[in-house]
Amino acid sequence: MKTQLPEIPHNFLPGQYADTNGLTINHNYLPQQFSGCRAIFARFEKLVQNADYTLGKSVDEFEDRIRMLTSSPYALGVGSGTDALSLSLKAAGIGPGDEVITTPYTFFATIGAIVTTGAMPVFADIGEDYNIDPEQIEKAVTSRTKAILPVHWAGLPCRMDAIMEISERRNLVVVEDACHAICANYKGKAAGTFGLTGCFSMHPLKNLNVWGDGGFVLTASREMHDKLALLRNHGLLNRNECAIWAGNSRLDTLQAIVANHLLGKIESITESRIANAARYDRQLSGIPQLRIPTRPENTRQVYHLYVIRAESRDALQQFLINRGIDAKVHYPIPMHLQPAAESFGYRRGYFPVCEAVCDSVLSLPVHEFITDEQINYVAAQIEEFYAGS
Amino acid sequence: MQEVKFVDLGKQYLSLRDEILACFDAISRRGAYILSEELDRFENRFADYCGTRFALGVASGSDALHLSLLALGIGPGDEVITVPNSFIATAWVIARTGARPVFVDVGDDMNIDPDLIEPAITEKTRAILPVHFTGRPVRMDVIEEISRARNLYIIEDAAQAVGARWRGRRTGSLGHCAGFSLHPLKNLHVHGDGGVITTDDPALYETLLKYRNHGLANRDECEFWGVNSRLDAIQAGIAEIKLKYLDEWNARYREIAAIYSERLADYVEVPRDRVEEEPTYHRYMIRQPDRDRLQSFLAENGIETKVNYPVPLHLHPAASQLGYKAGDFPVAERLAETILSLPLYPELEEQQIDYVTGKIVEYSKKHSLKAPLQAAGILS
Repeated sequence: MKTQLPEIPHNFLPGQYADTNGLTINHNYLPQQFSGCRAIFARFEKLVQNADYTLGKSVDEFEDRIRMLTSSPYALGVGSGTDALSLSLKAAGIGPGDEVITTPYTFFATIGAIVTTGAMPVFADIGEDYNIDPEQIEKAVTSRTKAILPVHWAGLPCRMDAIMEISERRNLVVVEDACHAICANYKGKAAGTFGLTGCFSMHPLKNLNVWGDGGFVLTASREMHDKLALLRNHGLLNRNECAIWAGNSRLDTLQAIVANHLLGKIESITESRIANAARYDRQLSGIPQLRIPTRPENTRQVYHLYVIRAESRDALQQFLINRGIDAKVHYPIPMHLQPAAESFGYRRGYFPVCEAVCDSVLSLPVHEFITDEQINYVAAQIEEFYAGS
Repeated sequence: MQEVKFVDLGKQYLSLRDEILACFDAISRRGAYILSEELDRFENRFADYCGTRFALGVASGSDALHLSLLALGIGPGDEVITVPNSFIATAWVIARTGARPVFVDVGDDMNIDPDLIEPAITEKTRAILPVHFTGRPVRMDVIEEISRARNLYIIEDAAQAVGARWRGRRTGSLGHCAGFSLHPLKNLHVHGDGGVITTDDPALYETLLKYRNHGLANRDECEFWGVNSRLDAIQAGIAEIKLKYLDEWNARYREIAAIYSERLADYVEVPRDRVEEEPTYHRYMIRQPDRDRLQSFLAENGIETKVNYPVPLHLHPAASQLGYKAGDFPVAERLAETILSLPLYPELEEQQIDYVTGKIVEYSKKHSLKAPLQAAGILS
């Protein structure tokens, strides 16, 4: 019999501007929730009056604050996390004939960014932590390999010391896909600051988000910064001189205003996600049909997603959805088995860990407005599912 | 002294403030920021407006052209014919596909000279990319003939020409597909970067629909590796609101342009409309050999003007590998030295218009400057 359901959306964005009020989260705003938007609107209006739309003051402010947050020498706002990756690869000189080693367990954009440059993605299997396995990277290196593109999946940093060691020994560029990993760190160093660049998304579903598409790149290299600055803005050295044929990929000033507003809250957002994950861990660790996410030492993982592995995953997902819980699969089909990857020549069985992960993962809502009661409720439903099966 | 800014976007915003804030509010309440109902609605209305079957919102005007070229399969080894007097994006959208931009000179209307296209065609030519510069539609008849005879795509660069008409047809419907910009300085603009593609070709539309969104066939399946180039819901909502007023605004652009031309024609070369066309006057450009000094004089008097653009595309450092040199495109090069864009937007007040024209007349009389063609009786 169906219990009384609190509705738990997976990533309920308006809630970012809201205090959740008890168990029921719905699409109504309370007056105080609306006031958060008003503050942003006031800044929008100032922007419009000043017509400071293109790489305006708020973008500068955002880049300064991101540099401080991550202790990165340079930061550049761009049009999206996807563009952060493709521009980084282009700025690093990656192009046709080159190979870039990455994980088959990622979002499509990681691969799209590589293909956009003309280079070939080469996959290396992942470990039980869902991240690329450094030992598998080593095996995938060929004479054409130019770069490693590790993805800090779900907000857990990859084993960057091992990856950086390979990169130095084999003379390979590292471009970090840190789209899930704002405020994550590995041995005290921010995710996104190990490689030549670190690439971040501010898509509406990210821990730090804007109201549309947006992203940024971190780098410690002045040369990369200067190249990226050209690549995001038509290759223009100044208003009238174009140095290279580039592109247009800028973080809208309007979106930088939203990001600046949320940057003030990013530590508390991160902390509440970590706390929610810890509560899930405690509640779920006794269920034998589940595996909770790994917790490597010396690593701060920020739980953009809380990803468990579950027996009878599809049935469990449906059961949870029926109970009002927005459980999702990120993602059911690995990159090497996508229709788009056909020409790469991979088959099922090439990356067994990744394939097993894709068949069994389930993401539970972990965002900052989920309450303890809601987590308890989710855990209780999972227990009930396995008790009945 | 008065101050006449080159653009004054704040005024337009104030007239639409309630509508725009309500739109932000509605989107924020729903929390649907990507590929939303606002975008669907705007795309439908924009396609209706242009008279095309499809319209597709993307991240910028440059992307609109770049993705169109990629989706048509244009790449390394191909050539695309375009003009050297345009914004830099017109060239890089071609070059970044791996194809080669091939420039041909423009005519007195600042648009591609149709007679020069045929000699520039080689066996590698795949497309013609005419630019409706300043918002004046390109004379399409010759180009359409060439395109049919030589089997070439026409991709309109309509970044400056939203709402313009040529023989009654809107820009965006004059070629195989078109790219529009919604950049804040355009006649129809959003509050950041944005662009639109229009086309009648269902196959191209289907490809672009996926290509702009990572090549996804659905949430979990990627049909081909794509990019991320989407018009944000917030920007689509703003564009949808503003599209309702576009014809009204464009009419005012033309009205002010007519006043400028009437008062200035004896002193500088002014743009001239053909009967068959309805331009948008995204830019109102006069021509004056003494341009730099005139520009300084106007600046000293509080009038902001611009040169769009002082360096033709073939003479940028980025174009060095294309092998062009100064002198290759004499009309475009001469334009770069003589053109000056005056402030022109619907919110410009009568007294500001009087002031701008008054100052140009004052300067011209002081230096005995006359419009050479008009003075010689070649143009009336």
